[in-house]
Amino acid sequence: MSEYEPKVVCFSCKFSWGYLVDEAVLSRKIEHWIPIICTGKIDTTHIMDAFEKGADGILILGCPEGDCHYQDGNYEVKKRVYLLRRILESMGIEKERSKIVFSSDPEGSRIPGLVKEMKEKLAKLGPRRRNALAGKMSQKEAIKTGGRK
Amino acid sequence: MWKTEATGIAHTEMAVRQCLPPCQIKCPINEDIQRTNVLISLLPDDPDLAKDGIIQISEYLYDKNPFFNICGYICGICELECNYLKKGGAIKRRLLKRFLSDVYTKHLRELGKFEIVKNKEKVAVIGGGPGGLMCAYHLSKRGYNVTIIEASNQLGGALWLVPDYRLPKDVLQTTVENLVRIAGIAVRYNIRLESGDLTLEKLKKEGFKAVFLATGLPYPRVLTFEGQSVEGQDLSGVMYGLNYLYEVSHGNIAPDYFKDKKVIVTGGGNVAFDVARSVKRQGGEVTIVCLECEDKDCKDGIPADEEEIRGAWEEGIRIVYSRGVRKIVGQNGKFKGINCPTCVSVFDEDGFNPKFDCTDCITLVGDILIITIGQAPDRPLLQKEDLLDERGRLDIDHLTLQSLSKPWVFIGGDVRKVGFMIEAMGEGLVAAESIDRYLRGVDMKEGRRRDYEAYEIPIRRDYKPEPEVPWMPPEDRMHFQLFEKGFTLKEAIEEGKRCVTCGPCLSCKACVSIGFQKSLSPVEVDVARCSGCGHCVYVCNYYSAHLISSGGKIVSATDMFRCKSCGMCVVACPSEARRMVDDNTAERIATVYSSLV
Repeated sequence: MSEYEPKVVCFSCKFSWGYLVDEAVLSRKIEHWIPIICTGKIDTTHIMDAFEKGADGILILGCPEGDCHYQDGNYEVKKRVYLLRRILESMGIEKERSKIVFSSDPEGSRIPGLVKEMKEKLAKLGPRRRNALAGKMSQKEAIKTGGRK
Repeated sequence: MWKTEATGIAHTEMAVRQCLPPCQIKCPINEDIQRTNVLISLLPDDPDLAKDGIIQISEYLYDKNPFFNICGYICGICELECNYLKKGGAIKRRLLKRFLSDVYTKHLRELGKFEIVKNKEKVAVIGGGPGGLMCAYHLSKRGYNVTIIEASNQLGGALWLVPDYRLPKDVLQTTVENLVRIAGIAVRYNIRLESGDLTLEKLKKEGFKAVFLATGLPYPRVLTFEGQSVEGQDLSGVMYGLNYLYEVSHGNIAPDYFKDKKVIVTGGGNVAFDVARSVKRQGGEVTIVCLECEDKDCKDGIPADEEEIRGAWEEGIRIVYSRGVRKIVGQNGKFKGINCPTCVSVFDEDGFNPKFDCTDCITLVGDILIITIGQAPDRPLLQKEDLLDERGRLDIDHLTLQSLSKPWVFIGGDVRKVGFMIEAMGEGLVAAESIDRYLRGVDMKEGRRRDYEAYEIPIRRDYKPEPEVPWMPPEDRMHFQLFEKGFTLKEAIEEGKRCVTCGPCLSCKACVSIGFQKSLSPVEVDVARCSGCGHCVYVCNYYSAHLISSGGKIVSATDMFRCKSCGMCVVACPSEARRMVDDNTAERIATVYSSLV
């Protein structure tokens, strides 16, 4: 198990995280990093896809409560992730594998640490049961098509 | 760049300019308030690191408004229309600008001259107040050779009459002297039109192809009652507010000049409050008497700013509302008091036309009377230059400010219509555009009349209350130093964040300019997929997503002026009918996901 290194996809809102530094520079320090204009723009399918493509965890860094430039995008993603966790759990993806942090860090210097911290937790949790998602693909499709087959 | 279904609003340039945030519509020069609020909110929290950003934002503002730093002290007109007013208090835009001013005013001295090729005609601007300077600045930037003709020995006009506790003199001095230096404007001081041999005709002979006349309102208005001048205005102890403020500004009045004196100030405007509060600072016991009533929302409400009234009240100034002055009482040539009937109505359909009930009359006793009921233009000058019509009004086109008798003369600022500093500046801007059009020989009016449209406040879960602005306690502020504390960097960032950016993205583009967005991605609706369920309408905080009837079915549509390209409707859509054009988020996600394997 010692060589197992979890892969964490990190979404971060551009309005609160790392906007003062060059994105390319910060990119080199953060693996699988996706700066996004608003965390409210993160779709459930984006999260599902990440797990499907092999991510072990998802970290979403949003604006502090009440600070969303697009009014309520951070609350929207929180709602979405909380609801999605129930479904993910039914697929064997533990709730620890999705995490939301609402804070602000214009320099982005805390992001690598937050990713590292999540990786360590996931390492303790162990690798994801790879086939869990495959068996439940029909459910995922159902979510993608909004319940329509 | 917009490619959306034809709602008929996203096409023309005219329409683009017509939608603005309410604050920017209120501002006579339509300052880019939203954009700069956003940029302030994204400053680093380290003051040294923030300095560059502050200067960048300031330079952006300075380009259009070379007085923005002064606005930061005395103009908050935009706050009156802020959508946030009803949700916890207007965004403190004035203090945000004062925050920028604290850094930028000093920086002005280091600023180099604009590199402008001055290959256009000579234009004269008569009067170096805010209106004249604004006009001169913008004409100069367009390559005209501008000369300001100033009657006094300093630029700034009536701004010099604003007491120091509201606008420090060094801020004003630094601003005006650098403005003419940076923009390369020539100034002739101590020259008055129509006194000596200077006339408009003479200027024309000198080679000036156009003139902007912004001579302001240099004389105080005398006190009248029912159309007649009230007697006794020549008594010892009676003075005019305008003259008093001039003397205060020039340091000609001793700090305790009014000690143990009862001073009555007549007038309900901001200038009357400037007078009253200055007198109080010089030891007087002050009573303000005004025609208007206390309720500002009423048609006859007091015109002074709420902050002024609050400040005066805190400082122990008594305000007597709804009273006029019928008689000035004197004894042995000295002022003794005034006789004040109730004012039952100030304005009627024809405008200012006060009515009184003389059966209800009080007498106020005092040692000094300061009349501050408005100002008057230099009428003889306007008459001699033949700029008035047969009814004695300015004979000009009020859209272009062009004189109807002398088409090369343009008139604006307080001399046309009394107003706030920024209104005079707005007219300076209009005059600059008019003069440019006149000298280029193009249509004077085309495309200039605009009806702006604003939107309501976006929906959000929590609106934040306005920050407390600390004033020195009244007992500690009986001097002419600033009594209002400006924002710290941290407070400015917080206040910038509070702005909910109600205006359309097209008028702002802050996020594009700093590289957050590649472009403003419009949202496109695939009508074939859309089932008209309305999820997008529910999730949109900007009233942009809405349902329309199209081809016999209900589908959703996007109002591109309201859309902020946040993508929340795209995410909420259960049938993937909405997508963002020109958006690279999906590619970015795909790239990252492909690296997972």
